[in-house]
This record gives sequence, C-alpha cells and structure tokens, in this order.
Amino acid sequence: MKIEIRDLNKIYPNGTHALKNINLVIESGMFGLLGPNGAGKSTLMRILVTLVKPTSGIVLLDGKDIQKHRKEVRKILGYLPQDFRFFTSLKTWEFLDYSAALAGMKNRKERLKEVDRMLDQVGLLEVRDRNANKLSGGMKRRLGIAQALIGNPKLFIVDEPTTGLDPDERIRFRNILSTLSQKQDVIIILSTHIVGDISSTCQNMALLNKGEVVFCGRPENLVNEAKGHVFKMNLTPYEYEKAKEEYDIISTIPVENGWEVQIVSDLPPDGNAVEIEPNIEHAYVYYMEHKIHADLNV
Amino acid sequence: MTFLHNILTVAHYEAKTLRRTWFFRLFAIGALFIFTMLNIGLFSPVGTESWEMVSIPSALPLINLYLLNIGQAVVVIFLASDFLKRDKKLDTVEVLYTRSVSNFEYVTGKTLGILRLFLSLNVVILIIGLIINIISKTMKVDILSYFEYLLFISIPTLIYSLGLAYILMLIIGNQAITFFLLLGYAALNMFYLWYRAGSLYDYMVFGMPLYKSGIIGFDNITAIINQRLGYFFAGVSMIMASVILFKRLPQSRLHTNLARTLLVLCIIGSGITFYNTLNNHLEREKLKRSVIEINRKYEKSKFPSTTSADIELAHKGKTIEAVSMLRIVNDNDTPLESYIFSLNPGLSVKKVISGNSDIQFKTDGHIIEISPAKRLEPGGYDSVTIFYSGKITEAFCYPNFSDDPKNNRYRIAMVNVNKRQAFLKNNYLLFTPESHWYPVSGLNYYPSNPARIKVDFTKFILKAKSDKNLKVVSQGIPGEEGEWTKYSCPFPLTGLTVAMGNYVADSITVDSVKFISWHYPGTDYYKKDFEELKDTLPNLISGFMKDLESGFGVAYPFSCLSMVEAPVQFYSYPKSNTQVRAEIQPSMVIIPEKLSTLQQAGFAKRFARQKKQMARNNQIITDKELKVRIFNNFIRNTFISGRNFRMVNGVLVNEPTRYLLGPSFYFFRNNFYSDEYPVINAVFESHLQKLNEPAPAGGPGMMAGNLSDNDRANLILKNTSFKELLARNPSSDTMRAVLTLKGDCLFNYLRYKAGINEFNEWFKNYIWDNSYKRVNILKFNNDLKERFGFEFYPYLEEWFNGREQPGFIFTEPDVTTIVVDQRTRFQVVFTASNTESAGGLFNVSFRTGGGFGGRGGGQAIMSVTFQGGRGGAAGGGRMMQIAMQGRGLTSSDISKIVYLSPHETKKIGVVLESQPRAMQINALFSKNIPGELVFTIQEVKKESAKQKPFEGEEIVQEIPSFTQPGEVVVDNEDPGFYRSATSKMNPLRKILSGNKEVAETYQSMNLFVAPEYWQPVVQNTFYGRFVRSAVYTRAGTGDRYVTWKGIIKEPGYYDVYAYIGKAGAQIIMRGAGRPGQAGAQPGRPPAGGPPGTPPPPGDQSGEPARQNPYKDFHFKVYHDDGMDEITIDYETADPGWNKLGTFYLSPDTVKVEMTNQSEGRIVIADAVKWVLKE
Repeated sequence: MKIEIRDLNKIYPNGTHALKNINLVIESGMFGLLGPNGAGKSTLMRILVTLVKPTSGIVLLDGKDIQKHRKEVRKILGYLPQDFRFFTSLKTWEFLDYSAALAGMKNRKERLKEVDRMLDQVGLLEVRDRNANKLSGGMKRRLGIAQALIGNPKLFIVDEPTTGLDPDERIRFRNILSTLSQKQDVIIILSTHIVGDISSTCQNMALLNKGEVVFCGRPENLVNEAKGHVFKMNLTPYEYEKAKEEYDIISTIPVENGWEVQIVSDLPPDGNAVEIEPNIEHAYVYYMEHKIHADLNV
Repeated sequence: MTFLHNILTVAHYEAKTLRRTWFFRLFAIGALFIFTMLNIGLFSPVGTESWEMVSIPSALPLINLYLLNIGQAVVVIFLASDFLKRDKKLDTVEVLYTRSVSNFEYVTGKTLGILRLFLSLNVVILIIGLIINIISKTMKVDILSYFEYLLFISIPTLIYSLGLAYILMLIIGNQAITFFLLLGYAALNMFYLWYRAGSLYDYMVFGMPLYKSGIIGFDNITAIINQRLGYFFAGVSMIMASVILFKRLPQSRLHTNLARTLLVLCIIGSGITFYNTLNNHLEREKLKRSVIEINRKYEKSKFPSTTSADIELAHKGKTIEAVSMLRIVNDNDTPLESYIFSLNPGLSVKKVISGNSDIQFKTDGHIIEISPAKRLEPGGYDSVTIFYSGKITEAFCYPNFSDDPKNNRYRIAMVNVNKRQAFLKNNYLLFTPESHWYPVSGLNYYPSNPARIKVDFTKFILKAKSDKNLKVVSQGIPGEEGEWTKYSCPFPLTGLTVAMGNYVADSITVDSVKFISWHYPGTDYYKKDFEELKDTLPNLISGFMKDLESGFGVAYPFSCLSMVEAPVQFYSYPKSNTQVRAEIQPSMVIIPEKLSTLQQAGFAKRFARQKKQMARNNQIITDKELKVRIFNNFIRNTFISGRNFRMVNGVLVNEPTRYLLGPSFYFFRNNFYSDEYPVINAVFESHLQKLNEPAPAGGPGMMAGNLSDNDRANLILKNTSFKELLARNPSSDTMRAVLTLKGDCLFNYLRYKAGINEFNEWFKNYIWDNSYKRVNILKFNNDLKERFGFEFYPYLEEWFNGREQPGFIFTEPDVTTIVVDQRTRFQVVFTASNTESAGGLFNVSFRTGGGFGGRGGGQAIMSVTFQGGRGGAAGGGRMMQIAMQGRGLTSSDISKIVYLSPHETKKIGVVLESQPRAMQINALFSKNIPGELVFTIQEVKKESAKQKPFEGEEIVQEIPSFTQPGEVVVDNEDPGFYRSATSKMNPLRKILSGNKEVAETYQSMNLFVAPEYWQPVVQNTFYGRFVRSAVYTRAGTGDRYVTWKGIIKEPGYYDVYAYIGKAGAQIIMRGAGRPGQAGAQPGRPPAGGPPGTPPPPGDQSGEPARQNPYKDFHFKVYHDDGMDEITIDYETADPGWNKLGTFYLSPDTVKVEMTNQSEGRIVIADAVKWVLKE
C-alpha cells in the first residue's frame, strides 16, 4: 500500500492556510507526522480520513483519489482522533460492537467474539460492561485504539494518541502500534508533537511546520542533521543565566555549584562544552530552531 | 444487504443511546404512569367510564394516541435536534463518520432509531389501553383501530417533526434556537393554525376529526389519508434534504442520488396530498359561496308548493338513482311561469316529464328551473316527474357555515368528530331533507334574510331499494313492493328522511303511537340495562308523552315516532330560520350511534354509582325505582328539556340539545308566513315551541355573571331594530336569543290585548284547525280581528323596525291578606314606571305554595340574597329566584301583562287565592338587565280594616324616585365612571392564554382567571338603574383603578358610600343536577349547573369552604381636606351600600377612586354615592 500526497493545500473559510503544497509519499509501515501545535498535522489527518476536503491537490491511495473513493478508503480505515470520547450511555463492549458492525462485520456472533478479543488485546476485557464515563483516561484511550483497530483496518491513522497518557500507558500504546506495524501491507500514520513517540516506533517521518513539510525521511536522518550541534556543559548560575539568552537549552540538570546543561548550537560554545550524540529530540529542536531559520536566511 | 445492515446498526444504537437518556426516560416513565392512570380513570370499570368515552371502542386508542402525540411531538423535537447537536459536539462521531456508512444510511438509521423508540412507547401505551379495553365489560374491542390510529396519528407526526427538527438544526446549527422555534411552531399550531385551511396545518392532528364510527368506520378516510400522507411525505422529504445537507463528506453517489430522488418524489407527494387537502377545503368553501350566490339570484322568485311527492330511490353503492313525482300547487297570488326547485348539486337531472311528455328544464347549480307548457295560475295544480342520479354534496346543506372543526365544535371528550350531514356509502345511506336529496320547492338558505323559511307540508310516498340489501328506514307506514320497500305517510311532512343500513327494529305501541327503535345489531345495550322496566315501559312512555302534550297544550300529531341510530359523525348546524335541527324530523329522531354523545346514556354505570351513593346516604330505593329514575332523567334531558352549556366569546350560552321533541308540536305541523316579515315563522316557533319551564334560560350562568338569553338579546337590540339586526346575518346563537325575545314580546302583546286566557284558548284551537297548512300572517291578523276586535299587524311595524327600548323601575310588592267573599285572599300591590320614551310590556307571575321545585323537579334554582336600596329597582328585592315565564302555547303561569306608555307610572294590584312566595317579573324587550326579576315575598301583612281588593292598574303621577334628595349616585354605567387604561398584555401570552380583551361587552365572571382589565359583568346583586352591572378585575398591586366623579351643588358634610353587591357570595347551589332532572326536593335548592359556575363562598353544604376570591377593597375618597384611604373588608361588609366615611365637600366635582389592590383574587367596582348630611 502506498499513499501519495501531491500539492495538497487546505485553506479554511476564515483564510487560514493550514496546508501549503504538501507532497509526501507514505508506504506500508509506520509513519510519523511530527510538528508543533498548529503545524497542520490534524488537518492533514482529517483529509486522509476523508473528513475534510482539500482546497487543492490530491491524495492517492494505491493510485486512487481518496476523495473520489471515500467508500473504499473508509472500508479499510481505522481512525483515532485526537480528542476521543464516546457516548456515555453505551457500555464498552457496545461501543466496540457498534464500531465493528459499521466496519462491516455483519455476523453478530463473530462480531461479539472479535469485540471480546479486541477488548482483551487492549486490556479492557474486565471492564467490558462498564459505561464510558466510568473508564479512566487511559482506558478510554485504549478503547479508542480498540475501536480503530476493530475490523482489521489497512490504513490506521492516529492523531496525538499519547497526549495525557502516563508512561506505562504510553509504552503499552507504542507496543500495540509496533505489533500492528509488523503486519504486511498496513500503513500506520501517527501524528504527534511528542518526538519520543516517533523515535521509538516510526520507520519514516515527516516534520510539519506552519503547514509545510520541512523534513521527510527516516528519523535517523533527522538525527544525523543535528550531529556536531549538540553540546553538554557545566555552568555556574551566572553563566547559566547568560547562556539562556544565547543558546537553545534542551535539558538542565542541577549539579554542585551550578547546572549541567545540554544545548543546541550551530557552533561549539566557549568554555567546557563537550559535543554529545544527538537524539531525535535534539534533532527536532535543532531542525525547528536552527536549520529552518538558516534555510530561510539563505 | 450492507445498506440495510448499516441502517439497522445505526438505528439500533441510536435507539439504545436515546433510551438511556434521562430526558427520554423521564418522558417515558411519565407517559406510562399518566396513561395507565388515564386509562384506568376513564375506561376501566373502576374509573368514570363516561359514556361518550366508552360507548364507541375506537375512542380508547384515539384518546390515548391523541394525547400522547401532543407530548411526543414536542419531545421528539428535542431529541432530534439533540442528536445533531451531539454529532456536532463529540469527536466520537468522527470515528463513526470515518466508517463506511453513507450519509443516507446514517441519517435514515438515526431516524429509524428515534422512531423505533417512540413507536415502542406508543405500542406499550396502546397495550395498556388494550388490556383495559379487554377487561372492561362496557367496551367492545376494535383492534383494527389501534393500528389505524398508530398509522394516522403517531407515524406522520413523528416523521414530520423529525424531518423539521433535522433540517432546522442543519440550517440554524443551534439546538436551543431550533428547539424554541419548533416549540413555537407547535404552539402556533395548537392555538391558531390547527383548524385553518381544512386542517392543512394540523401536523399533530390536534383538531383534525379522526373519530371512527362503529357503523361506518372512518367517514373521511380520503381526507385523513391525504392530510397524513402529506405530513409523512413532507417529513421524509426533509429527512432526505438532511441527508443531502448533512455535514459529512458523502461516500455513495448512489445513495445521494437515492436521497435526491426520494426528496423530489416526496416533495411531489406532499405537494399533491396537501393540494388535495387544501383543494377539498377550498372546493367546499367555494361551493358554499356558489350556493349562496345562486340562492341570491333566485330568492326573490316565486316557488310552487309541493303537496305530494312519490319518490323512487335506488341505492347503488356510492351513487343513487331516483325519480321524484311531485304534485305542486301555486299558492302565490301571481301565476308561475316556471317551477323552481332546489336539488343537491351532486345530483344531476336527466329528464323532467309532465304527463307523458318531456318538458324543458335548465339547471343552475342546484337550481332546476322547469318551464311548463303553460303557466300555472294561482291556486292551480300541476305534476312533474324528475329523473336524477349522482352523489350528495354535503357542502350544500349549510352554505352559511364553515366546516372547519373550530366553528360549532362537535367533540366527544376532547377529540373532534367530523361533522357530516349525509352519508352515501356502500354499506350505509342517510339523507335528511337538509341535503335536498329530492327536489324541494324552495331554497335552503335565503342570503338576504337568513331567518326566512319556506315550509311545505307534503304527503310523501317513498319506494326505495338498495343493491347492497340494506334495510330501508323512513317515515310513515312501511310495506313491501317486490324488491322495493315502500313507506306511505298518512300525514303531511315538512321533509322526508331516509336511512339504509343493517338496521334491526324494536317497537312498542303506546296510546296509539308506535315507537320504533331502528338500531344496529349489538347497540341495543340499554335493553339489558332496563330489563326490569319492560312491564312499566308503556306507562313511562305514556307519562312522557302526556307531559309533553300538556306542556305544549296539543296532542302529539303523528302516529309513530322512530328513533334511528346514525353514525356518530352525523351533525346538523343550528339554523337561523328555525330552531329545528336536522336530528329531529317529523315522527323521527336521528340519534347518535350507541347514544354516544349523550352523557346520561351510560345507564349501567349511572345505576351503580347512584345506588352506591344512596346506600351511603342511607336512602332506600329499589333497583327498579332507581332505574325508572335514570330512565326518566335520560328521556327528559334528551328529548324534552335538556340543554347544553358552552362558552361563546366569554359568554355562557345554553343551547337546547339537538334531540328535543318540541318541533313536533309546532314546526312540523304549523306554518305562518309573511312576505313583509319573513322571520315571522321563526318568531312564532321560538315562542311557541318551548316548554314553559321554570328553569331559567340563563339562570345558572347568571351566578357567574352570565347573561340570560333575554338579556343578551336586549343588549344586542340596544339602539338596533330587529330588521337591522337581521340584515347583519347574525350568528345562530344571537338569532335564537333575539327570536325568542321578539316572540315573547309579540305574544305578550297579543295576550295583553286579547286577554291571557281568552287568547290562549283561541290560539290553541286556531293552530290545531290550521294543522299542515301554510297561514299567511295577514289572514291570521284578520281572524284575530274578527275574534277579538283588534289588529296586530300594525304593531309589527314598531316591533320590527323600532329601536327604542322601554326601561322599567319597580317597587317591591306589598302583600296584605284581605277577605273577599268571606275567604282570605292575598292582595299584592306594587308600582312600575317606564322612564323611557318608548312604550313597553312586562309580565308578572307568582310562585305560590311551598318550595321552588319545578316541573319534573330539580330545576337548578339559585337564591341570591342582598339588601336593596330605597324603593327603586336598584338593589331590587331581597331573595331572588331567577326564572323565565310566559312561553309556550299556553303560558298559563302569567298572572298579568302590563303595558306602560313612555314616562308612565302605574300602581298594579293583583289578588291571589293562595299566598305568594315570590313575584316574578319578565321585563321582556327593555333596557332592564337582567330582565327577569324575582321579588321574594318574605312578609305578608295582616288585613287592614275594610281594605277593598284592588285588581288592575291605576296610573299614578308620581314616579318612584331612584335616588333621594341630597344624594348623588354614580354607577359604573354612568358617564361619571372611568376605568384606568387596560394593561398591555404580551401578544404571545394573549394568544396562548386565549384571554381576549372584551372589556366593552358583558362577560361571564371568571372567578378563577380574572381578566387583567376592568371587565363589565351583570348580576342581580349589583347596583344599576336598568343595568345591574359592575366591573371586576384581577387583584394586583393597585396599578389598575376606577374613578367615580359626581357633581355636588351644596357645600357640607357628606356621607360617602360604596355599593358592595355580594356577587355570588350568598349563592347556594346544592342537590341534584341539571334542569329538568328529577330528584330535587321542594324547598331544597339543587346543585349542578353549567361548567364555570363559581364556587359558592359561604356554602352551607357542609363541604369544606373554598377560599373566597374577594377580600379587601381599597377606596380613596377625595375631599376638601385632602384624600383618605379606606379599606372595606368584603367578608364583613353589608350587602349593598357601605359607608366609607363622612367628609366635608365644597360644591364641585367630587371623586372616589378604587384600585385593584387586594389580598383576594378579584376586586369589584360598582357604584358610589354622596349623601348630604342634614
């Protein structure tokens, strides 16, 4: 399976240009969509799940325009929106059953079996008869994943899935996605502003900023871009105050007589700075704060 | 399959979601509770089992769904708009929107879900009703009607409400606004639109007649289907529009196109069905206008009179074929060039023959104009035979009445019943003369003079057959002639009625009159209820007939009386030219199926209830006696003297029941006509056709400040002549009241001139001698002159064209015992003055002996206690019993009729053999409101020495003073009385409350919801020279006030008084029931009375006292030293004048104000007086 996004633009009636000439190719596997808030990730997602029509451009799924083949797209789609809630008056299993039935599972017996299997997979079997308003935040999220997964979707799109989850839940969620991504011919698109989610799960990613794709490739490539620009140094409180004005400080750890800080900088800073190996978080900051600005200046 | 699967899935979960909402749960639980109670209370054996509810089985599902539908039509609006709101609000639906479900499937599924939920509730409530229905021993089960009403009432309303809610929600996007808009629309429908345009706007069938007859089923099925399908289609089209406008990207072109196609088809469907509904209504209205216009063209024509008619009628399913052989006479004084007949416009004339040859004719709508070979000279006879066929167009029957359900409402319980004037169906036929199903030589309505009527006394022979083998019922003696059923009438009739159906007959002959009950099998439930009366039935019937005959002073003129059961939808409008309704025909009464509209016809329930009540009161009565009593009550209240009370524009109107047998004693036998005064027959009829009842025409209502018919008529005729009034084509209620008053006036004049007994005796013989003849009023005038030596025709000029009314003032009667011929007699003397510039009559009668029990016992008699002013009529007598006297053929109760010329005063003396308890005066046509006065005589003075009896009239020069020297009185009727401007009411509140401001006319007093303005009201207890009225309003903070302004000429100290007419405060109404009802005991006033009768404060009945609506009244007295505020406590105030204080006043305009400030609910303002202290 392959998704091709060509010259995609979305301008809202209020004039907001949410997406600007987006061009992307997404192939089977897990694809991360990273960007700050307001970068256009959700708009792109909503176009991909056929909730919103683009202003111009085209999205092809295996060569077919998804706007003209919404029915086919929706048949293979599993979607978890950013702010997922469900009818409080329905029980956990009922909501899943509703989703399963709409996903095309007509046989009630099989459907109920699948519902229980899915509840088990996301660890909600024990609360199958509980109403939604009685579930914890993490449970609701897992139920959201379950409803998206039910019916074996080929295209799985999740928008900001780990927001608000505790570390355990986040790890559990990542594992579910990893397992799913092992399947053949399945595309998983994960939109997030939490870079850790991308590094641990995605084979490919795109970085969106202000409606534009500023980076597209493997996460390691993004990390490579930051090599030689991440440093660690110890600072006195006075130096720390000064450094805050000069550099992008990524982390700050209190030590004796001052702070151990990690900074991103085009040039090695003066003093006791030691170059360190960047991770994706360093790369994201370097890219957003230095590379893009530098490119714009050029 | 996926299509259905998706729809059902969405429907399933939508229903589940909604079912679990608190809003629906509360509604459902509430509805289940209310309807269970309602069904138990109304229909079960432990409930009221009101006969009108339980007699026709379809009433149960109808009333259940009718009420539920009003509730659910509102609730569904909220739930439907809520679903769209939820969809908009929750991201949950995004996960559903990304599923492979088309918008069509999604919206349809949602709709089905909501529908399923509501229909389930409907079904559960119907099952509850069905269980009660099955348990009930009184009701039969009409299982089909349960489905029919679900289909006709609930489904179209729900679909339409859903569609409307969706589309508005999609367009407006705000649930609150949508909800309130739709709620407003529902309210607008219920209060304003529901009856308009042939029920076109009535989406929740709030007023559309849906009543199903047990005989013919739905009579208006096409109209029902059209209107309901219209809303069904409109609902579906809006749902389809919602599919198209739904804010989700569509995924199926096929489904979108399906929605578009359905949208177009449903718009077309609703267009066609709504067009049919509207067109049907417009066509009826158009036809009515056309009938009036055609009648206008022909009303000046001369008509022949039909002396005999041989009619052959063949019923052919939904059409008829008929031949009428008519023998006519020209009783005009000029030759007839053509014969004009009126035939129902649905029937078309094929040919007309005279002798054996065809003769020319032309038709103009319903008019057939036949051109005979030679003109018909006055007094000449001719015969014509008319061949015709077709259907009956009912809109023709009452062209001056709109058929909308609001006018002349015909309801059973709370649901409207369709008003039908004729039936022509495969399984049933009913034609009355009003439908002109045979050629009638005259018009059914004379537009220039609606009071005009042409009555022919015709000898009918009917031969009828039905291709459906239906039993033929008509008037006369039945016989068989091959396949024809033949009815020959031995007596002339004013019209012929025919019914065909699966009738069976029961008959009994009493005193040579054959009484036949034509009914449908199974509807003769009363036979079982009155099984024990079988042997006494002839005696009972004989008693009734003798009562009737002695009441009217003549014998029942026919040899039979048929009671023909007709579908409940049969209804006649009241006419302006006669009080005879179509339900009463010569020797025939058309009664509603299973007596369903007659409340007293639930005999078994009444028996059980009364027996229980009697046991509770330790009254011993046998079952048979009780059944006799129930039977008597029913017969009297239905056929002899029953009345229906209803409110018309705030005034209580008591309309005679539709089945009174009165017309048999005048209208069906006699006719007086006049070219100059065409209303004369209606006037004669109004006066003569009434039993002389002690029951007041408007009596019960007067306790609520309601006007009697006489008073209403006098107010209507204030400054208006009878002729001018007729030209305005007044309503039938007005006509009835005015005709009766004018009839009373005319006959009192005749009796005054000829002598009461002399005239009565002569007139009784006169109308008997002229039975079945049309009598010209000029001939009557000549005959009268020959017998009594005076002409009354010249009097008619003033009677018809005069505008002035006399006004009478009476002193209280002075009663003394005297000895005449060595026997004690009672001398009554009183003075009467006519202070106005028109002469007038009043009559006097006396109640003697004990108690006030009237004919048949148990008239609703009210007593009002108050203390009067000095001498004058104002404040009048003391104990009053309101009654009406001097009507009917005999009017034997009148003791004296007095004529007073303008500004004339007479001392009047009457010598009575027995002690009078009360003197009743009927001021007839006058300014006196109320015009019927009763002076209770509480003191009889001992004889004075050598007092000579004084019997007769004596003109006196001194007019009794209305006020005393030094008194200035300002009444609310006087120019010095001012009301503060009426408060402005919110227009919406005005529509919803129906509280129309009618502050310029007298209304019934509403003690529960008093108006927010000063409303004039008339009661005997109030002060007034001629009109005893006051104004009342709802108590408040003092924002409304009235002012009395008088002019004083002398300075000095004045006592200032306010008149407190203790309205209704001393009313005592207890005992047993309705006018004419047996069972009241002499001396003990019975209870009952019309709806709206106020609670009796100070009731002595032993029941818990209800809160008095009157408490403190606040006055402001302006005087030379400023202003004093004075409060009068109603409870402790004297009835009549109450002193507010003594104040010094200089010659000038003096003023007293009263505000609406009060702790009570109501304040009343009447009169104020200033009395100079000596």
